[in-house]
Amino acid sequence: MIRHLFTLMWNRRRANGLLVVEIFLAFVVLFAVSTIAANLWSNYRQPLGFEYDQVWQLNFTTGSQPRAEQLGTLRQLLAEIRANPQVAGAASTASNTPFSFNDSQTRLDFTDPRDSTQRPIGPINTYVVGPELREVMGLELVAGRWFGPADAVQGAHIPVVIDERLQRAMYPDGRSALDGQLAGDNEPPRRVIGVVRAYRTDGELQEPLPSIFQAIQPEDTLFLAQSVLLRVKPGSGAALEKQLTDAVRRIGPGWTGTIRTLPDMHTVQMKVRLTKPLLLGAMSVFLLLNVALGLLGVLWLNISRRRGELGVRRAMGATAGGISRQVLGEILVVTTFGLVLGLLVAVQFPLLGVQNVRPDIYFTAMLLAAGALYLLATVCALYPSRLAAGIQPAVALREE
Amino acid sequence: MTNLFTSTAAASQAQPATAPATGVGRAVLQLTGIEKVYQTRTIETVALNHVNLTINQGEFVSVMGPSGCGKSTLLSIMGLLDEPTSGTLELDGRPVQSYSDKELARLRNHKIGFVFQSYHLINDLSVLDNVELPLLYRSGVSGRQRRQRAYAALEKVGLGARTSHFPSQLSGGQRQRVAIARALAGEPEIILADEPTGNLDSVMGEEIMDLLLTLNREQGTTIVMVTHDEQQALKTQRLIRFFDGSQVS
Ligand SMILES: Nc1ncnc2c1ncn2[C@@H]1O[C@H](COP(=O)(O)OP(=O)(O)OP(=O)(O)O)[C@@H](O)[C@H]1O
Ligand SMILES: [Mg+2]
Repeated sequence: MIRHLFTLMWNRRRANGLLVVEIFLAFVVLFAVSTIAANLWSNYRQPLGFEYDQVWQLNFTTGSQPRAEQLGTLRQLLAEIRANPQVAGAASTASNTPFSFNDSQTRLDFTDPRDSTQRPIGPINTYVVGPELREVMGLELVAGRWFGPADAVQGAHIPVVIDERLQRAMYPDGRSALDGQLAGDNEPPRRVIGVVRAYRTDGELQEPLPSIFQAIQPEDTLFLAQSVLLRVKPGSGAALEKQLTDAVRRIGPGWTGTIRTLPDMHTVQMKVRLTKPLLLGAMSVFLLLNVALGLLGVLWLNISRRRGELGVRRAMGATAGGISRQVLGEILVVTTFGLVLGLLVAVQFPLLGVQNVRPDIYFTAMLLAAGALYLLATVCALYPSRLAAGIQPAVALREE
Repeated sequence: MTNLFTSTAAASQAQPATAPATGVGRAVLQLTGIEKVYQTRTIETVALNHVNLTINQGEFVSVMGPSGCGKSTLLSIMGLLDEPTSGTLELDGRPVQSYSDKELARLRNHKIGFVFQSYHLINDLSVLDNVELPLLYRSGVSGRQRRQRAYAALEKVGLGARTSHFPSQLSGGQRQRVAIARALAGEPEIILADEPTGNLDSVMGEEIMDLLLTLNREQGTTIVMVTHDEQQALKTQRLIRFFDGSQVS
């Protein structure tokens, strides 16, 4: 019967050609949208690596204060902030804080000590942070240690903490990256002292990059550390915000401070990151509506123009259910024709490795897009197929 | 001229007078008080008016009558395609009303072969696919068997060389023969043929008539055939005449 339907729809390909093209186009667009959605979902499911519910970010500007005085002012400010009973911890950091849309990336060379092969790794998100960051952000240490006071003094190696993703990039076979070395241009080599789970400052929707942390050195405080991340006690609000910004103005001559909460920044980032996918999603809904109308049109024609044929089939022994299954089957076959064309296009993406998306995401997207179209076709065929089943053979046969 | 026909007017008469030796027997189709009324907004047409008729197994019956007298209506009721307004139709002794939709479909498929007055071929299917249709709705027939039997049926009607044509590429007579082949392919017990030779030239008409006669004689197929051709009607065992929805002889 399935073969019969394929033959029938193949013979009718001219009549259904437009619909096949429409389904093909719908598939391609749905495939693109599903790829984006599957990618977002896959990113979303990976650990963010930090907690931000009670974290605020303080940014300050140093006005016209002479540079030589700035470090002292900052230390004084941090001491004051930490002394506030509502503040559980405060860490200096470069401006690439969570959900800030700032990033700082680098490429480093890694030499595998086992076989001395050298390999560039990158891009890597680099974070220059105060040692308090781990406490403030609740980073999870999975191996080695986090920065201690000794790391503030520059030695022959730069001590770095990396995330698990960078560890895997260095040792795909799962070896520990502790004591491993990463070299940058014109800089002392970095030595891994610890591994944390993750620190995805780009947010949960962005493709995670490997990360590397470096302790702030006193001399780069002024270039790099114009932000402070604070863990505040639950229930802190506008009062604390005012105390903190007042403190900045009071302690720093000409300094200004602004505070944003990380949950707020997170919301803003989610909105920005979801705008495009949602627009695409809305467009594909319109497209699907269009396809649905096309399907309904074809079904309608199939049934009203082909009443005679359906009557013949009844006369030859088709049951009412059989007729209804045939109508559904026909539309699924037409859908399949469109999908086959679409899949031919879609498989090129994983095959050619375009766009740097994982193949399993592409395949998930193909399944999603095909499933959506089959579902749409089935839903569209429900009512028409029932109509077709109700055709009285004698009446239908007389009409021709 | 009616005296020429081996006709029986009374439906109650179980055996026609000239029952041939080849297994004319029990009633396969029994119509009792069959009425068919078509109700349109303006007029009411009585297409069949209280028809009592028995078709026995192995019989070859022809039906004649002027246009519009209800011949096609009669056939579609006998072929389980239409329901009478009143009266009962029994198939193999069981009232048809008692059958479910599924059972009716099965009966149409296994028992009955229909040749429509206007062929009703499916234009989007090749000749072979058209002829395979009854077998398609029959479980347990493989694709290969379907093909073979459809070929054989087409050979019988002299269209063995036209199997991959589409109906639109055939002449009226060829289409009619395809329609006949389709009715034969399922090897039904009953063939209901509505003017099967209406569009054929006399030679081809003869051949089809011979084919039906052979089928009736050798396989015991029960045949009810509507015809306008007295010569053909002469060759059948029984002629039923209709006028204005009623059986007149
Ligand atoms: N669906 C219908 N609605 C209204 N009237 C109908 C319908 N079908 C048939 N009729 C009427 O019933 C009568 C019998 O029609 P039928 O087709 O059985 O005639 P017929 O004997 O086969 O004629 P012909 O020899 O021309 O094929 C006709 O008067 C026709 O107009
Ligand atoms: Mg007729």
